[in-house]
Amino acid sequence: MAHRTSLIPVLGLAALLAGAVVTRAGQAPPAQPALEKPAAAKPAPQKPVAAKPSAQKPATAKPAAQKAAAKQPNTPFPAEPPKAGVPRDFQVPEPKRFTLDNGLQVALVQWGTMPKARVTLSMRTGNAFEKADEVWLADLTGDLMREGSSTRTAAQISEEAARMGGSLTVSVGGDSTTIGGDVLTEFGPQMVSLVADVVRNPKFPESELSRLKANMLRNLAVQLSQPQSLALQKFRAVMYGDHAYGRVFPTEAMVKGFTLDQVRGFYKQTYGAGRSRLYVVGRFDSPAVEAAIRKTFEGWQKGSEPTQPQAKPTSTRAVHIIDRPGAPQSTVILGVPTVDPSSPDFIPLTVMDALLGGAFASRITKNIREDKGYTYSPTSDISVRYRDAYWSENADVTTTVTGPSIKEIFAEIDRLQAEPPSKDELTGIQNYLAGTYVLQNSSRAGITNQLDYMALHGLPPTYASTYVKQVYAVTPEQISEMAKKHVVDDRATIVIVGDRKVIEEQVKAFGSITEK
Amino acid sequence: MPARAITAAAAAAVVLAFSPVLDAQQPPARRGTAATAAAVPSKVTVPVEYHKLDNGLKVVLSRDTSSPTAVVGIYYAIGFRIEPKDRTGFAHLFEHMMFQGSEHLGKNEFISLVESNGGVLNGSTRFDFTNYFQIVPVHTLETVLWAEADRMWGLKITQDNLTNQQGVVKNEVKVNVLNQPYGGFPWLDLPQHANTNWYNAHNFYGELADLDAATLADVQQFFKTYYAPNNAALVVSGDIDTKQTLEWVRKYFGGIPASKLAPQPDISEPRQEKERRASREDPLANRPAVAVGYHAPLRDTPEYYAMGLIDQLLVQGADSRLYQSLVQKRGLTGEVDGGINLLGNMFDVKGPTLFTVYVIHDADKKADDIIAAVDQEITRLQNAPVTKEELELAVVKRRSRLYADYEQFVGFGRANLLAAFALFDDAPAKINRLEDEFRKVTPETIQKAAREYLRPTNRTILTIVPKGKAN
Repeated sequence: MAHRTSLIPVLGLAALLAGAVVTRAGQAPPAQPALEKPAAAKPAPQKPVAAKPSAQKPATAKPAAQKAAAKQPNTPFPAEPPKAGVPRDFQVPEPKRFTLDNGLQVALVQWGTMPKARVTLSMRTGNAFEKADEVWLADLTGDLMREGSSTRTAAQISEEAARMGGSLTVSVGGDSTTIGGDVLTEFGPQMVSLVADVVRNPKFPESELSRLKANMLRNLAVQLSQPQSLALQKFRAVMYGDHAYGRVFPTEAMVKGFTLDQVRGFYKQTYGAGRSRLYVVGRFDSPAVEAAIRKTFEGWQKGSEPTQPQAKPTSTRAVHIIDRPGAPQSTVILGVPTVDPSSPDFIPLTVMDALLGGAFASRITKNIREDKGYTYSPTSDISVRYRDAYWSENADVTTTVTGPSIKEIFAEIDRLQAEPPSKDELTGIQNYLAGTYVLQNSSRAGITNQLDYMALHGLPPTYASTYVKQVYAVTPEQISEMAKKHVVDDRATIVIVGDRKVIEEQVKAFGSITEK
Repeated sequence: MPARAITAAAAAAVVLAFSPVLDAQQPPARRGTAATAAAVPSKVTVPVEYHKLDNGLKVVLSRDTSSPTAVVGIYYAIGFRIEPKDRTGFAHLFEHMMFQGSEHLGKNEFISLVESNGGVLNGSTRFDFTNYFQIVPVHTLETVLWAEADRMWGLKITQDNLTNQQGVVKNEVKVNVLNQPYGGFPWLDLPQHANTNWYNAHNFYGELADLDAATLADVQQFFKTYYAPNNAALVVSGDIDTKQTLEWVRKYFGGIPASKLAPQPDISEPRQEKERRASREDPLANRPAVAVGYHAPLRDTPEYYAMGLIDQLLVQGADSRLYQSLVQKRGLTGEVDGGINLLGNMFDVKGPTLFTVYVIHDADKKADDIIAAVDQEITRLQNAPVTKEELELAVVKRRSRLYADYEQFVGFGRANLLAAFALFDDAPAKINRLEDEFRKVTPETIQKAAREYLRPTNRTILTIVPKGKAN
């Protein structure tokens, strides 16, 4: 969570395009700063999906308003869009899997045309395993791990990875922490060895501790000056109370107090082969990579079983305002707890979300952006953690229309609950999810995240191969039912970071205003 | 590029078996470092088919079989640099209008058409072009080409549409700049201080009053002036049948009339002779920050490619000299960010651009201490040529980054480079010369580029003074 976000936006049509489609691989187009942890906890509401959009229905979507006359009467430009052709077959590549004696689960996937390989060690450790008074201890452990092993200095680790055409990144998330990176194809085995050394033999040098804590305090201060971070912090605290998922940021005192012993303790308790998975995806020499994995990971200790207290999010209809005097916009999160990916309702819920607010052409976005012009980057999303999820709409809206924006969001939820969408509208969204599923599985990072997502949530291998079919099986009536059953808006938590004196009147109709 | 020879050869064989884009002509094995045998570096060759329609539309087709998708990118040679002087932010506002309705696609219909065909879409406005792109399942390619052509034929929008998007764009400026700590400081503010020519030095996101002042007539005039086939490049890449694709392109775009293009204004910047400094108070930030921008070498000079390697040596990655010095050794900051053309990459900008480095730091460190530490590394580059090993490291990083550029956003990055080279140079195949150009850079060219372009008198320093409340 401590990772700083990019300050560079795109001067574009939309900030967050199609939600989860593009993973953060390589240099993705700079997007709006992500609010969530980039590690495995998140891969956004991965629309985990499977092969065969041969199941995809012909794209029927065509413009509603067909006008007969072309602008240039002399040209044969057709007034109707040409029909789509026949969908190509698409299969998520089947990984080669094996498990080491110490419990490390390995998946190797040959994929793509670029001479690169991605090595990712995903471990069941992260912020979810912190105690209440040690928020970001997981991040500090990750930062220190990058500072050297028993045989390599931090500078040597960096240079070795760079000479492979890559970099070694430790990314700490909620339920998982990953170590790895992309390298040129010929360096697959060396990258495996480097990752193994960093995770197995950390030196945790005392000399770097105060510098890393200063960096952490600076990151904390910067993030707490961003309205989106403040909104998330409050939203999580309200929903999760004292569960780890409710603790987004530490206090300064916590960070200042961290000791090397705490870091070593956290490492000892939460790192180990038995709670880790290793993925190599791309183009690489399979036998050499497998040999490197066995050689460098076989001696790693198994570690303890991951144990997490079950999250029990609660939500009651109330408005939580964090005052930001003079703010030109209100940053709004409006959400409710839902079922998580292990539920049979999850895929229908995902389709519902895309139609309601997840896609660019979704109802809420059309309403508050394309009709009213209240906001630039509204988006809904199902935020997923281990055995836990919530649905939320997130939008930065102009201060003076904070109330009207929230009113429209509720109106769209109510409308969907009351009336099933048309078959055409649903088919369009199903096609969108089938198509973006292919995009999600068309990069090394995307394939890695997909496999790790399925593993984290305990989904069967058939999940991938039947996802698209399940998306298409959802009916209009089910969409309404999902909205009614899971987006229980009379229990919605509403968090607003904005200019209290201007917005308080506007929003009091939506629930009791809590806090000062 | 050290690796065990057997491993590398086996890997290369695997790759070649699967990949039509890799060059089978491997260069002779080179000597690696003493510890390892020589490896054969893989080289990527991008297929490029280039056509020009009678109306002047440049068409680039590039087959890539990684996934059953296609990228459609249309690039118009109008960036925010040359928008009307009393309409700052207009080029970007206009980009939004391209989604508001054309002859056969009413409001919201373009977006719905692409998404309901399983695709994603966006547009963006940059210094020297405005682009529109879709990434779609390849079987829907014809539908998308039709839609993209429909809006090149003409727009059909109302005052309501314009008012709506003025609201959206003002909200975009608020969320990215006005309500954000540090909002825009390295990418929006710094160029305004570093440049002297209005075209390079104005607020291209737009003053809110200018955005409000835009009229429907402005929109139609802008379209007429710049959105013509002879001012555009269309790239289609992915798992496409190039012959069929070209037929569709001719069918839908071929009849759009060319227009008489206005001469381009002079966008050049004079050689900077004196350091500039600027400072901004930021009521939202609670830690100071500093950005330093140097005018970068013009495209295609030897120094241009050298600068691409200097960027790798100085800024990119945890192994870079500035990271090692400012973060690892001195603890002045936790991150060093920067690069050539922050709103894209070194290839997709045609006119003057900056090489920028920026950091957020604590109040107990002075901006001048940070600049001094940066200077120390720059002076090293100016005083002595880099070693062969350092040069090799920069080249391997740059080459790997190039592949990442190609792959960015499921192949959009490759289309982006092809479009830029078609639009700027009339030569999309230039994409396949980049690796060699970087390999040709010598330690002497790097030294020469550092001496001319990383002069203190060629730079602008912008500091952020935090006025936000402490957390």
